[in-house]
Amino acid sequence: MKSAEDLNRAMETYADMVRRICFVHLKNRHDSEDVFQNVYMKYLLHDGSFDSIEHEKAWFARVTINACTDWLRYFSRRKWVPLEVVDDEKESLDDTSAELLETVLKLPEKYRNVIYLYYYEEYSAVEIAKILGKKENTIYTWLSRAKEILRDKLGGEWA
Amino acid sequence: MNAFQKSMSEVRATEELKRNTLQYLNGQQEKKGRTKSRHILRYALVAACLLLLVGTGSYSVYRKPVSYISIDVNPSIELGINRFGTVVSAEAYNEDGQNVLQHVSVKNISYIHAINRLLADESDLLYLREGSLLVFTVISDQPHSIMEELQANEFTQTYETLLYTSDTDCMAEAHSHEMSFGIYRAYLELSLYDSSVTVEDCHGMSIGEIQTRIEGCRHHNAAQEQNGQEQNETQGHHNGHHGGHH
Repeated sequence: MKSAEDLNRAMETYADMVRRICFVHLKNRHDSEDVFQNVYMKYLLHDGSFDSIEHEKAWFARVTINACTDWLRYFSRRKWVPLEVVDDEKESLDDTSAELLETVLKLPEKYRNVIYLYYYEEYSAVEIAKILGKKENTIYTWLSRAKEILRDKLGGEWA
Repeated sequence: MNAFQKSMSEVRATEELKRNTLQYLNGQQEKKGRTKSRHILRYALVAACLLLLVGTGSYSVYRKPVSYISIDVNPSIELGINRFGTVVSAEAYNEDGQNVLQHVSVKNISYIHAINRLLADESDLLYLREGSLLVFTVISDQPHSIMEELQANEFTQTYETLLYTSDTDCMAEAHSHEMSFGIYRAYLELSLYDSSVTVEDCHGMSIGEIQTRIEGCRHHNAAQEQNGQEQNETQGHHNGHHGGHH
């Protein structure tokens, strides 16, 4: 079991990333908070050690994605996220950002994951493949298809 | 910063979310700690019960002597030894032996250690001098290993040491006469040479005195045999026979 010191450090370091991955997957703030707590509970109970900060960060990303997937599966919720989650954040978003987020959140789950990890966390396809436990070629395919959808919907820099 | 990063940059974990999560986890940690304590307590209780059960068995095994050594100098002392080679009982069979055991602690240590402690006792209650006679009589399923260990000890260099074996029947008879089985074995040997000797005669004798009488009888017998042989040889010569042929 992790110490309180480890927990506080991990909270300061990864809370935003965990929250964003939850945002990408889940329906509303309430669900996000539940999964957020679950992720940190998993961390608290995690007995293994991490080779590096990068290793720890990738662990958080993978565990959060899995926790979101499990949450959705458990409650038999739709894999497609309605727009109320964006409404929660709308006050702090400009129109362009809100439109982009709405479009990303409409992507299938697998595309949302790769878009988030690739464009926000700036992981390489190889690293994303490791985090998601997929083949590198699969990640390239998903990234390519996700970008294609965004290009169709948004044009601009995605074109 | 790309457009996606820009749009996501405002999505953050609020301080309230972090605080609530930490509070929740601390609560879970305490609960787990309490559960763990209860589990530890439960395991400790189970372990204590097991220890009590196993311990009771082990303790009775520990306490049970499986071998005995009678140490006879002038004091006569019997040591009971458990299967681990530890002295678990010590009985004195004369006044000198009682004095020794009052001064020297011999229980719960190895028998060699116990014997060395008795021999090294500075109060000189064993009346040991260089060359004194020290008789060890062993009763055991495997007496030879004990005898070898005794033989290998340093005191065999300092004192005249005799080693004998005996058995539990002999021990029971000895105890019925309130003497050590070492003394009783010596009496039995002496009675082979001298049928007139009684247990009562030996009761007040030291092992050295009995041993001296045994030696005396042996010499006497040996001398008689020698004389007998010589007489036979003389008669044989007179009769024209060679005794060696008989």
